[in-house]
Amino acid sequence: MPEFKVGDRVLDIDEDGFIQKPEVWDEEVAKALSKTEGVEQMSENHWKLVNYLRQYYLEYGVAPMIRKLCKATGFKLNEIYELFPSGPAKGACKVAGLPKPTGCV
Amino acid sequence: MKQPKNVKDISRGDGPLSSVEIRDQIPLPPPFDKLEDEPAIRPLAKDVCEKFVVVDDTIAVGIPKPKTKEEEEKLVNGFLDGLRKCFNAADNWTFLQPLMMSMEHCAKCQTCNEACHIYEESGHNELYRPTFRSEIVRRIYHKYIKKHSTWVHGDIDLNWKTVARLIELAYRCNLCRRCAQTCPIGVDNALLAREIRKVASQEMGIVPREIHDDGSMLQLKVGSSTGMNDIVVKDNIEFIDEDTAERTGIPIKTPWDVEGADILLIHNAGEIMAWPENPGAFATVFQAAGLSWTLSSDHAAYDGINYGVWYDDVQFARVAIKHAQAAARLGVKRIVLGECGHAHKALTVIADKVLTGGLKIPVESAFTVLHEIVKSGKIKFDKSRNDFPVTLHDPCNVVRLMGIVTPQREVIKAVVPEHRFREMAPHGCENYCCGGGSGFAIMSGRNFSDWRHHLTGRRKFRQILEAFQGEEMDKEHPKYVCAPCSNCKGQIRDIIKYYDAWEKAGISYGGLVELMVNAMVDAKPGFIDWEWH
Repeated sequence: MPEFKVGDRVLDIDEDGFIQKPEVWDEEVAKALSKTEGVEQMSENHWKLVNYLRQYYLEYGVAPMIRKLCKATGFKLNEIYELFPSGPAKGACKVAGLPKPTGCV
Repeated sequence: MKQPKNVKDISRGDGPLSSVEIRDQIPLPPPFDKLEDEPAIRPLAKDVCEKFVVVDDTIAVGIPKPKTKEEEEKLVNGFLDGLRKCFNAADNWTFLQPLMMSMEHCAKCQTCNEACHIYEESGHNELYRPTFRSEIVRRIYHKYIKKHSTWVHGDIDLNWKTVARLIELAYRCNLCRRCAQTCPIGVDNALLAREIRKVASQEMGIVPREIHDDGSMLQLKVGSSTGMNDIVVKDNIEFIDEDTAERTGIPIKTPWDVEGADILLIHNAGEIMAWPENPGAFATVFQAAGLSWTLSSDHAAYDGINYGVWYDDVQFARVAIKHAQAAARLGVKRIVLGECGHAHKALTVIADKVLTGGLKIPVESAFTVLHEIVKSGKIKFDKSRNDFPVTLHDPCNVVRLMGIVTPQREVIKAVVPEHRFREMAPHGCENYCCGGGSGFAIMSGRNFSDWRHHLTGRRKFRQILEAFQGEEMDKEHPKYVCAPCSNCKGQIRDIIKYYDAWEKAGISYGGLVELMVNAMVDAKPGFIDWEWH
């Protein structure tokens, strides 16, 4: 399994760069992951999205519907793409430490 | 272009057997007609190529190269054991007959080759010729199982490379069965590709993660391949009801677990997660038409997916039984499948022939139900609300496989101005696969999606562009690709994104029932949200 270095830590990631143990996630991990997604600096808006995804995931064990994410955070879908170029599922979810989305989504 | 010279190359040498050069591909129609402007297929990383078996420019399964003689033998023996079972009625009664037919009767006329979109779009790369893979299986069958003379049927060396590459190669076919349709005898190369996948999964435990671990296994564990359990799915549907009502001005309440309802509607749960306007539109239309219907919150019954259709009979059966049991428990008159092609194949084509007794429940496509609604006159439509160019994609599993061609067109006729509808060429049962068939739409590991867009999805994208030629190709003139199947929708979304076709040509996509709600007189105008995707 590929590995990903965050400071002194070495984390397991899948072939698409999603961390394999959501529980090891913290802000430092998010910052490091955001760089792999073409986000140089995590802004307040980046954190707003990431924190919502994180909270939802911890509560429900799955990522939220994209439309729910938009409604809850007030971002339009294209604004999410501006923040995370690979989009909400593959970009924002990865930075929030969620597993890669599954099923026909 | 690198390509194998002979089927025997499958057993020889190291590294990939083929590589597709974009400059050898057929240019797309305008405005995407410059091959030099196309995004490249990103090369696989060196360490990946060292670790895994590679057959071409990408990896779908990821079979680690064997490190010892024992591991090599395990691959060969496992495959041979599994293949033997395929030819044994006790182990493979469901597919034995078409398998034997495809194995024994191919006249090697090669008529099927030109029917394959992957072979054609690859620039006729030998590796993707539909008979290339089949011929290898055929030779293995005759030489190693039937012990026939190789003078008659051709020689092949069955070593670990043959096996590992053949399994990877089984995931270079969309299982669309256009080749089988073209074959004068009915030889089914897609069936052979699936039998290879089946041997790999059921006998050897070799599977792509997205469709097995994160797909059918997750569905059986949690209830849905999306990871939604019954609490989450109910919460999401409640959100969809509210969100849809806000947009249409028509309050809706999706019914759950209604005993004795006429219809158990089963959506692909991917619709609920990624395209909520689709289940929202279904609820709006079903309610307005006064149908007696329900969803089921039983384990796995709120997700119509059945990925076993693509690779594994046992996984298939486990899920199909769950769907039928949920319907039996509620005592519904019939199951109606939402806009999901492989769910149609699973329940109406395969399970319908194998389930018996109380589990034999009538199953119907949403296409015919929507057509009945349109015919009933219970909903008034204003076609002028869909005053934009529309083309229709025919999902292989509903159209070629089941012959459902007219109902979806009648629906479109009722809700879209006639002069705005453009058929693709060819269409109906002659259609081409979207490129996402057989699990590809949800497979994107490493560079697989690059390969998919250049090889499997290219023909459909070409057809879409051809259908819209003559239109203003810009964002100010939105155009709608109606793709009434979840996987097709995902694939078409991805290729639109890949070529930036919304920004550059104003091409968007959606389902069938959304067009209905967009034209409903009783709904607020503007249900289709062009900027959403």
